[in-house]
Amino acid sequence: MGEIAIGIDLGTSNSCVAVLRGGAPEVIPNACGETTTASVVAIAENGAITVGNAAKANIIHDPKNTVYSAKRLIGRYFFSEEVKKARAICSYEIVDAQNHGLRIKIRDELFSLPEIAAMVLREMKSIAEAHLGQPVSKAVITVPAYFNDNQRQATKDAGRIAGLEVLRILNEPTAAALAYGFGRGLSQRVAVYDLGGGTFDISVLEIGEDVFEVLATCGDTFLGGDDFDDRMIDLLADEFTASEGINLRNDPYALEKLKVAAEGAKKALSVDGEVEVRIPDIITRKDGSTASVERTIAEAEYAALVNDLILRTFKVCDEALQQAGIIARDLDGVILVGGPTRLPVIRRMVRDYFQQDSKANVDPDLVVAMGAAIHAASLANSSQEAYLLDVTPLSLKIGVAGGLAETVIERNTPVPIEQTRTFTTFQDYQESVKIRVYQGESRSAEGNELLGEFSFTGFKKAPRGQVAIDVTFEINADGIVNVTAADPETGQQASTRITLSSGLSESEIKNIIEKGRTEDVEVRANAPAASAPPAAARDIAGDEILPMDDDPVAAAEELVREAPPLPSADSGPDFEPIGGHVLIPTEDGVLEPASNVGRKPAVRASAPASAPAPASTPAPASAPAPEPPPVAEADLLPEAPMDLTDEIELTDLEPLDQDLTVGIDDELSDIELSAEDVELSETDPCLDDVDEARDGSAKEALFERAGSDLSDPDAKD
Amino acid sequence: MSEMAPTEILALGRIIDELDYYQLLHLESGATAPQVKQAYYSSSRAFHPDGHRSADPSLKAAVERISKRVAEAYSVLRDPRRRQAYDRKLGNGEGRRMPLAEAKAEATRSTEQRDGKTPQGRQFYRLARAALANDDLDGAARNLQTALALEPDNQGFKDEVAELRHRRIHGPR
Repeated sequence: MGEIAIGIDLGTSNSCVAVLRGGAPEVIPNACGETTTASVVAIAENGAITVGNAAKANIIHDPKNTVYSAKRLIGRYFFSEEVKKARAICSYEIVDAQNHGLRIKIRDELFSLPEIAAMVLREMKSIAEAHLGQPVSKAVITVPAYFNDNQRQATKDAGRIAGLEVLRILNEPTAAALAYGFGRGLSQRVAVYDLGGGTFDISVLEIGEDVFEVLATCGDTFLGGDDFDDRMIDLLADEFTASEGINLRNDPYALEKLKVAAEGAKKALSVDGEVEVRIPDIITRKDGSTASVERTIAEAEYAALVNDLILRTFKVCDEALQQAGIIARDLDGVILVGGPTRLPVIRRMVRDYFQQDSKANVDPDLVVAMGAAIHAASLANSSQEAYLLDVTPLSLKIGVAGGLAETVIERNTPVPIEQTRTFTTFQDYQESVKIRVYQGESRSAEGNELLGEFSFTGFKKAPRGQVAIDVTFEINADGIVNVTAADPETGQQASTRITLSSGLSESEIKNIIEKGRTEDVEVRANAPAASAPPAAARDIAGDEILPMDDDPVAAAEELVREAPPLPSADSGPDFEPIGGHVLIPTEDGVLEPASNVGRKPAVRASAPASAPAPASTPAPASAPAPEPPPVAEADLLPEAPMDLTDEIELTDLEPLDQDLTVGIDDELSDIELSAEDVELSETDPCLDDVDEARDGSAKEALFERAGSDLSDPDAKD
Repeated sequence: MSEMAPTEILALGRIIDELDYYQLLHLESGATAPQVKQAYYSSSRAFHPDGHRSADPSLKAAVERISKRVAEAYSVLRDPRRRQAYDRKLGNGEGRRMPLAEAKAEATRSTEQRDGKTPQGRQFYRLARAALANDDLDGAARNLQTALALEPDNQGFKDEVAELRHRRIHGPR
């Protein structure tokens, strides 16, 4: 009892941490006094890790070794549309890993996305600990409501790597509603319109005093403030190409300056009717002279530029209202969440759509962390003053014959929930039963997100059709899926192996934690914030002596000193317009009012960088695990290697030309799915599936086919 | 619902398969939609896993089982189509649980079932659908009743009549 637990809003662009104190949620400022911290990680050559605005400033100097918007990639497959897009425009290198997962390549090292996210989480943890004066080990971490199981699990892994016990993975709109309605005894229906840096969520809730019931939630995990910035970048770059014949997008430094300018312009337009973007000397022409970007943009023009993106959000809102069974007029309130919702164009269009003004006195940048803090306190102390009745955002499906997927648990079903299906074998003395589990709304398997292939063994061996296996699909309060199987007669659990899952395995996570690569940031926050960084050493000529690489602390400090942090434009009250002009990036990455360009930027206070980690080598490939242990309910992650050929070894008592996969079979009568569940005739063969499954290497092809269009957001029923 | 003692919760966890959804939520079979919702809220307050995090494992497990069943019961009873299908099952003595996806499957009837076997039945069904499109619930109900009178065994018509009746009383879901 009396344990401190924090709430962390782990955002695409910015993160925020809060704690419940004296019955009210309190946002914890970082060492620089900012209420939000940029979700950016810079990794120096010596391994030193910098997180936050200091790292953000580093993007321009060292774009390849600075990771931002990691939330857009966490839990995704390498071949997904979002990752493809990121690879085209991100300054850092994204490579593929086993099982179609991905890694960020920094110099010679590979980092998984949970590791990167863990670095940000550690920073938020440190911020809390510095402020509270005590260690913190428990947290509620928020995610977009529309995050799928892979994304949630990866976020939970990140929390673990960061040394946190994750009490709950909480949906951001639900957190916001909680902060809004906590302790107010309301009886209202509200919509939470949450437009973050990388994702859009809309949740419709019914608040019944102490109960917060989510009626429906919908989203678009490919739409956020970053996309608004892309429009601005396109505008500036295309105009530049037209006038100068140079594509700025091809130069990483120029591209980063464009990004900084685009983001700055967006923020400035939240308060001014017009901004002027000026990026002097953005690139050198063939003749050696430099070219600049100079462009004035009025709010109306910006609104037109992003109009279609905003319309997309309302398409999602339509769906959510329909799923909730209400219309906009039935709502008593609209809550706006996310920095981009400060834009006048969004506020106008939201007012038109919902036919009411959004609720005032809700800080769109802080409300999610505050809700998370409220919930964290109630979970840590087992004291419930508010009850969150959330739902699963995506339908849970299994693969069936003909490349189709059949729903087991529909989207917007309250959680926790479980459903059991009975399967039977169709080969005599079959050793294992395999099913593929998906999330999504598409009738075809390909149109959904593959969570994994589950393989069950340990049931009795008998002639075909005489063995029944109960497979239970559970979705817990985190929205995380768990699949187990048991003998319906004895209740004995079958062994479960999970393959084709892109997430980190249990052994990989343990390796990462042992290596301690993410721990550097902890040292940072404990050091007092410097009011002015130490003066650089100079030689007799007055030139600065650059610190040697074997003095990593000084090297990291140098990094921070040369790149003063950007003003935290995301803390609403702190952001001030300067004369109606946008802040434009200078050489050092500092945003200066246009009139200040050319003058030396003031050095801002920043916490000194941390001590570096010892040089580490990439994780060794996890050794193959022995026979998988009985399934622990919470542990979904596979112990065994992901190599598909191992699957064949498991069933080597049977000749390989027998297809042992249930669900990829052309004899529906052997499976206890009633024929009318599947909208195809029983004579519909799926020989393609069967042929490919026989050959181990072609299983890759099977997966490829299942995975090729997974991220097509238009692949709906 | 007042605070339940651990022994009560454990006992409920043991017999949960013997209760139907109405019994679990303390509802009459004719409960209205708002009553169903309030029952769900009450049960959630009593059985939410979040409120029992520090309980011993057997109590936690019982609470989890119950809360999942409560969510399942609510999912079925709050959806008119599912509730109908469930009521029918209960009436036929076909068990106390229903797979959430089953009502959907039932809804995928053959065209014959849905639109009518006889020409007159089909005609009145079409009229009913046209009335629905114009938000004329009374007209739709009359035409459906006629269609049902012509084809008394048409399950599809029966379902639609029941759903329409529910809508007219309680409003859209």
